[in-house]
Amino acid sequence: MLNTRKLWKKSGNTVIYGLLILLAISMLLPFIWMLSTSLMNELEVYSFPPKFIPSNWRWENFVEAMTLQPFGRYFLNSAIVSIMVVSGQMIFCSMAAYSFARIKFKGHEKVFAVYISTMMIPAIVTIIPAFLIINTFGWMNTYWALATPTISNVWGIFLLRQFFLTIPKDLEDAARIDGASESRIFWTISLPLSQPALATLAIFSFMASWKDFLWPLIVTNRADMRTVEVGIANFSTVYSTDWPHQMAAAVIVLLPIIIVFILAQRHFVRGITFSGLKG
Amino acid sequence: MLKIVFLSFLFGLIINAQSGEKITLRVFNWAGIYEIPLTQQIIDEYERLNPNIEIIYQPTPDAQYENKILTALAAGEPPDVFLLDSKSVPSFTNKHVLLDLNKYVDKLNIDTTQWFSNVTNIARRDSGLYAFPKGFTPMMIYYNKKLFDEANIPYPEFDWTRDDYLRIAKTLTVDENNDGKPDQYGATFINYFYNWIPWIWSAGGDVLDPDGSEASGYLNSPETESTFQFLIDIRKKYNAAPDVGTWAQSGKTGTLRALFYNNKIGMVLDGHWRIPGMLKYMDRNHPEFDPNYELNLGIVGVPKGPGGKKVNVMYESGWCVPVNVEHPEEAVKLAAFMSGEYASRIRSASKLEISANKKVTYEVVEQDKFGLEAEFLKEVPYCRQPWGSRIERFTEIEKVLQDAVDEVMLNDEPMHATMTRYAKTIDTKLFNIRENANFEFKEIEEHSEIIKFLIGVALLIFIIMLFLYYRAKGKERHQLKTGVFFLTPSLIHLTVFIFTPIVFAAYLSFHRWDIVVPDKPFVGLDNFKELFTDPSFWNALKNTFIYTLNVPLTMSISLAVALMMHKKLKGIGFLRTLYFLPTVTSFVAISLVWMWIYNPSYGVANYFLDLVGLPPLQWLNSTQTAMISVIIFTIWLNIGFQMIIFLAGLQGIPEELYEVSRIDGASAWKQFWHVTLPLLKPTTFFILVTSFIGSFQIFTTIYVMTQGGPIGSTDVFVYHIYDAAWNQLRMGYASAMSWILFFIILAATYIQFKLIGKDVEYS
Repeated sequence: MLNTRKLWKKSGNTVIYGLLILLAISMLLPFIWMLSTSLMNELEVYSFPPKFIPSNWRWENFVEAMTLQPFGRYFLNSAIVSIMVVSGQMIFCSMAAYSFARIKFKGHEKVFAVYISTMMIPAIVTIIPAFLIINTFGWMNTYWALATPTISNVWGIFLLRQFFLTIPKDLEDAARIDGASESRIFWTISLPLSQPALATLAIFSFMASWKDFLWPLIVTNRADMRTVEVGIANFSTVYSTDWPHQMAAAVIVLLPIIIVFILAQRHFVRGITFSGLKG
Repeated sequence: MLKIVFLSFLFGLIINAQSGEKITLRVFNWAGIYEIPLTQQIIDEYERLNPNIEIIYQPTPDAQYENKILTALAAGEPPDVFLLDSKSVPSFTNKHVLLDLNKYVDKLNIDTTQWFSNVTNIARRDSGLYAFPKGFTPMMIYYNKKLFDEANIPYPEFDWTRDDYLRIAKTLTVDENNDGKPDQYGATFINYFYNWIPWIWSAGGDVLDPDGSEASGYLNSPETESTFQFLIDIRKKYNAAPDVGTWAQSGKTGTLRALFYNNKIGMVLDGHWRIPGMLKYMDRNHPEFDPNYELNLGIVGVPKGPGGKKVNVMYESGWCVPVNVEHPEEAVKLAAFMSGEYASRIRSASKLEISANKKVTYEVVEQDKFGLEAEFLKEVPYCRQPWGSRIERFTEIEKVLQDAVDEVMLNDEPMHATMTRYAKTIDTKLFNIRENANFEFKEIEEHSEIIKFLIGVALLIFIIMLFLYYRAKGKERHQLKTGVFFLTPSLIHLTVFIFTPIVFAAYLSFHRWDIVVPDKPFVGLDNFKELFTDPSFWNALKNTFIYTLNVPLTMSISLAVALMMHKKLKGIGFLRTLYFLPTVTSFVAISLVWMWIYNPSYGVANYFLDLVGLPPLQWLNSTQTAMISVIIFTIWLNIGFQMIIFLAGLQGIPEELYEVSRIDGASAWKQFWHVTLPLLKPTTFFILVTSFIGSFQIFTTIYVMTQGGPIGSTDVFVYHIYDAAWNQLRMGYASAMSWILFFIILAATYIQFKLIGKDVEYS
């Protein structure tokens, strides 16, 4: 009995592995092509039939991609802006989410509805007024201009609210009975418990800010305030694309997000241990 | 008060910038990374010659250049000198945004005869001159001499005819392995406007009447239709041109070039901008030259029309100065320098264009060892200015024209009926454009009204809070205080960056605003009325609904993946990272890869279909499959994104619940149904609501991959809004549309909340 169950579990795992790997390959193929292109010279990119393996591995593409434009500066800018956005969202979103999920003051549903409804106006319409505001503040060409519009985000508030709702209330209620203030409960109980959600939000806000593109172009007037995604796009014009350098730059720019992802992953895999909550 | 603080802050900045009594000028242009150093060199030289001038140079990638200029104009802070594309000339001159440079020509001793007169004329209106021409290009036929030599046919000459073109196209089309699909094509044809307009003009036809006021009788005239037929036949009847997707797709991915460099295409129509990329294939002294890929390039103008007439089109750009700049004289002087001899000589090194400066162009022609520049020069006297430089919002008409060609070419619609129908559509559009253009704007200097909105919104929120506070009693009041305390940071942020812009958009939807001038006349419900009578609006709405069908599909796949990932298997962290790759990669880069995958003739997608014995698809290039292709890409892109959120949700489900159900003997399926799904509901609900909203707002994918085509089959709501706002400069109309979108999403979200939004909580 035990043996068949083990066997069953084993074969089940094999099927799962198989499926996951198969799908992963389809996820990966475009990247393999991206990577191989980043190592070719342009003539090879345009060879026909298409080549998947460069005949001559041009590692210097990566060096060139980084030096043709001030990518070092772009990385610094992107990093500063992303850190501002991520820390901002962690604080702003978690506080608001806590208010909606836990404090539930009278009329909180209505306020929440208003919050949610702001997601429904597309950004391309609000980009001009937002720009006008930044401009009147005199923030053009500053990190403030790049970061502040996304330093809080309804999507994140909604995400965290949903997670707060799933966390058992026992501990909080116990603390409340002991006379702890809401701020204290929030900082010492709710936030530590929602690590997976915070890690998720951190990844997404980092990613969104790292990949943002049109906004940085509009609020900066100098090349030294541009971000990495703008740098990548610079390799394309309406008429043509510098494939090898663009792909090389894209590969390098991808690395920090992957690192952030791997770091954050630990947090949400560890997860919450609910056993301590019983009783 | 707030305003004073800001103004004094700004003033402080200005004083800082002007220390040393230097005059600061700002210069904008669009430029690729190889062009930027050349412009910088020109600017450095000007600063050297004029020590009292300091120049802030700001290049922008070409695709985002218009957004950049328009936002600067909207803020009332345009650069002192900027590069003007010929298609922006009409809207900018009609709205009196630009300075009449003629008024300074004598005073500053600027020689306007240094430029080709028909190029200069593009920016002339009545007696005014609104830009100094920088460079231009006619449309030329690039041909691969090697294929001509192999087929033993002579190279085309300056006065070749349409019959020659057809004959060569047919001769150079070869099916070596006799599989019915040519391995080498003689020519190319793409629906894009500049690919066919010189052909139509040289046949004596046109798409509009000479005044540009109507299309009926011109678009559907025999001359125009027979030319379309001629070009489409090359692709469809003689199979002498490959299908490489739209202009944007083949241009960005470089499919046409790939084929051309690999001796698979005999003749390609293109502008001068193609030369720089080709040099390394031609020039044996070029550091990247590879003898295996040597290109023997020939260039010739577009063949004469049936009546023996020779006409070409020219695309130009020039430097202009906006009105109301602080130092007009200095700015005009700089603009003239940017188009002058020194600058033209420096820029000619880039080979991107023909310099508008005659002297420099003659020099370049003389020094050109390939003899190609001379062919461009020969075309100049036959060049006509494009419609886009004469009629406001012509990009809108261009789009309709491309759809008309696609109807015949892709959907096999009959020529005359289609052109007649589309001519009527264009007539209506032209009428509307004229109506809109006949508008007197008030002179307004004020650009900071947005602050009034901000203060208004902030006050309103404050009053609501006070009201709620006084209404609440006892414990409720305490709760409200705590609740609002936690909300305050996000509330302040939302007020400034979200509520105010949204209220501003609401205000705009009852007004007319074309971004470039500050005046916003009240138009009542006009925007909404026009919207409901516009068939393309309804089409966009329909497409958006179709696109939204991807939501349940993506969600089921990513939930399944998340469930598998949730198991503690070896290497799962690595697999998880793989799945997340699409979401985090640069969108610019990955969308390019996908456009290449989807290429109808040479893409990997069709290669795989072929492997499993399925017929090839047109993917992004057919009205039937374009939306599906976009959806497949979206699913691929979003699986990782949703998977992560599902995973985080799954982590929150207590392990012992599973243990309990396992002891009860529940099957895996039952566990999923009775434990996982109910407890995952908040997460699922979150993903459902946000992906639904996100889906309704799909934009970037469409903008990059299809521009709403072919024939509007992927024209979605937000792309439509973008088009109205940024291409047609109708911010009021765009705002009205976004409010419709708002109410649709609001209704749908409300339903979702009512049906499944009941909060799940542990009791």
